[in-house]
Amino acid sequence: MTTHGGFEPVFCTVVPPHVLDRLARNDDPALSGPARRTILRDSELRALRQVNTEYGLLAAPAAKAPSDQPLRTIYDAEHGTSLPGTEVRAEGQDPGRDATVNRAYSGLGATFDLYLKGYRRHSIDGDGLALDATVHYDEGYNNAFWNGEQMVFGDGDGEIFVDFTNSIDVIGHELTHGVTQYTANLTYNGQPGALNESMSDVFGSLIKQYSLGQTAAEADWLIGAGLLAPAVTGTALRSMKAPGTAYDDDVLGKDPQPATMDEYVRTGRDNGGVHINSGIPNHAFYLAATALGGYAWEKAGQIWYDVLTGGELGERAFFTDFAKLTVKAARERFGSGGEELQAVEKAWEQVGVRIL
Amino acid sequence: MRIQVSRTGGFAGIERRAEVDTTGRPDAPEWHALAEQAVTAGRGAPSAGVPDGFSYEITVDGRTVYAADPRLTPEQRELISRVLKEGA
Repeated sequence: MTTHGGFEPVFCTVVPPHVLDRLARNDDPALSGPARRTILRDSELRALRQVNTEYGLLAAPAAKAPSDQPLRTIYDAEHGTSLPGTEVRAEGQDPGRDATVNRAYSGLGATFDLYLKGYRRHSIDGDGLALDATVHYDEGYNNAFWNGEQMVFGDGDGEIFVDFTNSIDVIGHELTHGVTQYTANLTYNGQPGALNESMSDVFGSLIKQYSLGQTAAEADWLIGAGLLAPAVTGTALRSMKAPGTAYDDDVLGKDPQPATMDEYVRTGRDNGGVHINSGIPNHAFYLAATALGGYAWEKAGQIWYDVLTGGELGERAFFTDFAKLTVKAARERFGSGGEELQAVEKAWEQVGVRIL
Repeated sequence: MRIQVSRTGGFAGIERRAEVDTTGRPDAPEWHALAEQAVTAGRGAPSAGVPDGFSYEITVDGRTVYAADPRLTPEQRELISRVLKEGA
């Protein structure tokens, strides 16, 4: 272990004290303000170091158990593109007038709930990470994404898409990109990218099912139901039950998702078809979950979660690597003679992914 | 000047493309300035971008550059939005 002789060198200020002192006396508040704050912070840090040294507290701060409560903040981009925007609702505050803000807030809560109650995971990093989301991003923006730190939701243009907070599985989908980033960190390209997308669809759908108390048989297995504007011919953006059937529209075209390896799409677009070929692992999950019945997050979801977070799944994993690990996880968690193992093996066989 | 924009990826994974030919347009100089700025700030190769973020290809008179959300310059954002809105 390395010691730093008392304190972390990163606390040290780069600007020499005499320069800071002169800046702090400057008449221009743009110069004096930051300098004054730096001086203040430095003196606070010095006092803290002294206290730490005197009480021998420097050896690693006591690990604090993460809270069982989420820490949500919703921001409003007010149709601009600066992130995160203006804070409009903090954790514990009552719902306001903006339904989009309220939906984002409760969607984040539902996601936090499934990960905590279903898998004992504290937030997306497993350590209570604060959940931030920005709504009303850009004008008529037809998308939602995870930027590596937070979720971003557009309002939709009203012609093809409506408000992206309308579907709870979309919120769960975006947050699961965060979970993947903190765990298997699947590369967002080609097959590992399609697996990354599939993780988000699987857990996005499970978050919806969990919040509605639905069994695998009751669930719609759709992603983005309620997201398409009324004029569009379609029910959702993707179907895990029947990939390729979610929409067929004059403007949008036809849902391009395959359900099996026979129909695997080779393309350079969409980061190598990450939103297209995700249909194959999506369908495998659906098959395993419906074969097992009951609440999908309890068995199939647990197996998929074990693989995503277990540490054996490589960043550049292919479908077959992932499939093999689900077989292993099913055996380890539910035993070799169980229906779980059988259901998982059969699901991959049906979509044409090799597990041997 | 021929300006083509293609947008792929996004949560829906639905592709959109459109192009604008500025020949004879009264606002051609404005388009040219915008297109030049957008291309100058573009990348020579596609990058992975962020999960569910849109990826863009901007082609101006045969020269293609790449960009991805949310890291677009204001000029790229405006050009993309105008071409997808006004282009055919």
